[in-house]
Amino acid sequence: MEAMMLLRGLYAIWLREITRATRDRAQLIGGVSRPLIWLLILGVGLNPYFRGEIYGEVRFVIPYTYLQFLFPAVIVLNIMYTSIQFAVSVIWDREFGFLREILVSPMPRPLILLGKVLGGSTIATIHGGLVLILARFADVTLSLQQMFTALGLMFVLAFGLTSFGVILAARVRSFEGFGVFSNTIILPLYFTSSSVFPLDPALTRTQMVTAYPEWLVFLVQVNPITYAVDALRGVIIGFNQFPPTYGLAVIFGMAAVFFVVALIDFSRS
Amino acid sequence: MNETAITVHDVTAHYGSKKALDQVNLTVPTGAHFALLGPNGAGKTTLVNILCTLRRPDGGTAVVAGADVIARPTQARRSIGVVFQDSSLDDRLTAWENLEFHGLVYGMAAKPRRAMISTVLELVELGDWTHEIVRTFSGGMRRRLEIARALLHRPKILFLDEPTVGLDAQTRQRIWQYLDRLRRESGLTVLTTTHYIEEVENADIVCIIDHGRIIAEAPPEQLKKDHGIRWLHVVPQDATAAEAIVQRFPQAQRLSGTGLALPAGDDDRTDAFLAEFRDRLSEIRFHPPTLESVFLSLTGRELRDRADGQRDADRAAGRRGGRR
Repeated sequence: MEAMMLLRGLYAIWLREITRATRDRAQLIGGVSRPLIWLLILGVGLNPYFRGEIYGEVRFVIPYTYLQFLFPAVIVLNIMYTSIQFAVSVIWDREFGFLREILVSPMPRPLILLGKVLGGSTIATIHGGLVLILARFADVTLSLQQMFTALGLMFVLAFGLTSFGVILAARVRSFEGFGVFSNTIILPLYFTSSSVFPLDPALTRTQMVTAYPEWLVFLVQVNPITYAVDALRGVIIGFNQFPPTYGLAVIFGMAAVFFVVALIDFSRS
Repeated sequence: MNETAITVHDVTAHYGSKKALDQVNLTVPTGAHFALLGPNGAGKTTLVNILCTLRRPDGGTAVVAGADVIARPTQARRSIGVVFQDSSLDDRLTAWENLEFHGLVYGMAAKPRRAMISTVLELVELGDWTHEIVRTFSGGMRRRLEIARALLHRPKILFLDEPTVGLDAQTRQRIWQYLDRLRRESGLTVLTTTHYIEEVENADIVCIIDHGRIIAEAPPEQLKKDHGIRWLHVVPQDATAAEAIVQRFPQAQRLSGTGLALPAGDDDRTDAFLAEFRDRLSEIRFHPPTLESVFLSLTGRELRDRADGQRDADRAAGRRGGRR
C-alpha cells in the first residue's frame, strides 16, 4: 500500500516533466533540427574527406564513412543538450515556487529527485531516439537488438547527464546565467570526445601523438563523453576505439556518481 | 481524536543575526480556526514554514497532527495542506493536471482522486476551466485553484498564508462556508496568517504576533474586551466648540467632516468631557473596540499596509519578466 502510494508520486513527477516537455516547442524544435544540421550539413559536407583511399592506405582511416562515424556522436550530442538543458526545469521549480508544493508533500526527497531525473532522462532519450530515425540516411542498419541495446545505453547516459544538469542547477542562480554556462560546457565536451574526428588516424601510438598534439589527445582521453560516444559507436556501427568495457563503466559510473552528488545537493537545499 | 492539532514550544528562528521568531509558544485545538495576525515581517510566514516542515527551527519543538516536524516530517506532511503566500502552481499545466499531480503525489488512488478533483474544482468555481492552462488564469483564479489543491488530499490541518489576497467577497464567503463545514464534520483545523483585520473577525482564536513574539492570544471578543478601547465620536455644534474641545482634550482626533473622536476608557475623563461640553455637542456616539484598535494599542502600530496588493502584483509580474 505504502509502496503503491510512493509509486504514484514518482509517476506524477515523471509525468509532469514529460507533459511540460511536450508543450515546450522550442525544445522539440531543437531536438529535431540539431541532428539534421549535424548530419545533413556537417556529415554530408565532410563525408568525401574521410576516405582512407585518399592516402591509398586502407588501414589508415577507419573502415566507415564519415556519416556512419558521426551518427552515434550526434545521438550523444542530442542527449547532452536535452539532459543538461533539463537543469532549467529544476531552476524553474525553485524560482517559481513549485518546488515548495513538492517539498511539503509526503514524498521522500530521494524519490522526488529520482522522478525528476527519470523524467529528464526519458525526454533526452526520446531526443536521442529521434536521431535513430535518420539511420537509413546515414547508411546505418540496425537490428532490433542493436536498437534496444543502444536505447538502453542512451537512457543510462541521459540519466547521468540529467543528474549532472541538476548539479549545475544547484550552483546557478538564474536562467540567463545557465544559457551561457550550458553552451560553454556542451560544445567543448562534444568536440573533445572524438566525436567529429577519430582519435587514431595512425597505426601506432607514436604516430598518433605526432598526428595530434598531446594536449588534444589528453583532453580527449580525460573526457568521459569520449567513452560514452565510443560505447554507442560500438553498439551502432561496431567500431570501438577503446575496450568496450570502458564505455560501459563510464556510462554507468557517471549515472551513479552524478545522481548521488545531485541527491546530496538536493537534500541539503 | 487528538485534542490539540498543533503544539509549538519555545520555537526560535534566525535569519542571520536577525531573530525572526523568539521563543514562540502556541497551542491550536483540533477543529479550530486559528488566525495569526501581524504586520509584514512579523514572523508569520517563518512560523508557517516551520510548521509545514519546509524550515527547521533553530530551537524548540513543534508537533503537527501528532507528528514532530523535526523527527517525523513525512508523517506531519501527510496531514497538512498548505496554501503559500506566493503561487506554487505549475502554470504550464492545466488546472486538472495540477490537481492530478497533487493527488498522485499524496498517493491517492484513482477513484477517490478523480472524485475529489471535481468536488474541489466545483467548490472554487473553476469547473469550466478544468482543462485550461494555468498560465491564462487571473490572480484570483490561481488563488482559488491553490486552495482547491490544498484541500484535495483531505488534510487534517490547513495552512493558509495570506489566503484571500485577490479573492472577491463572494468566493471568500463560499470557501469559508466550506471550510467551516469541514471543521464541524471532520475536525479540520485551519490556521491562517493575515494582516487583514476582516479576515480574523470570524476566527476562534486570534494570535497577535509582532517582531517574532506573540503578544496576545485569545478569541477576538476577549481581545477586544481586554485590550481594545472604546471611542467616543462627537459632532460639536460649531467650529468654536470644536476648537475648545481640542484645546481642552489634546488626545481628541479630528475625523473627516466636523466630527471628533476621543478615546473613551474607563477613566473619568469621558465623564469630565461630557460634563463640560454636553451642551455644545449635536451628536454623541460610542464605538465599541475593534481588532484594529486592539492591534494599535498592543503594538502601537498601524496594521494595514494598503500598498501590499499592488506590490505583490508587481513582484509576480517581475518574476515572469513582465509577461503573462
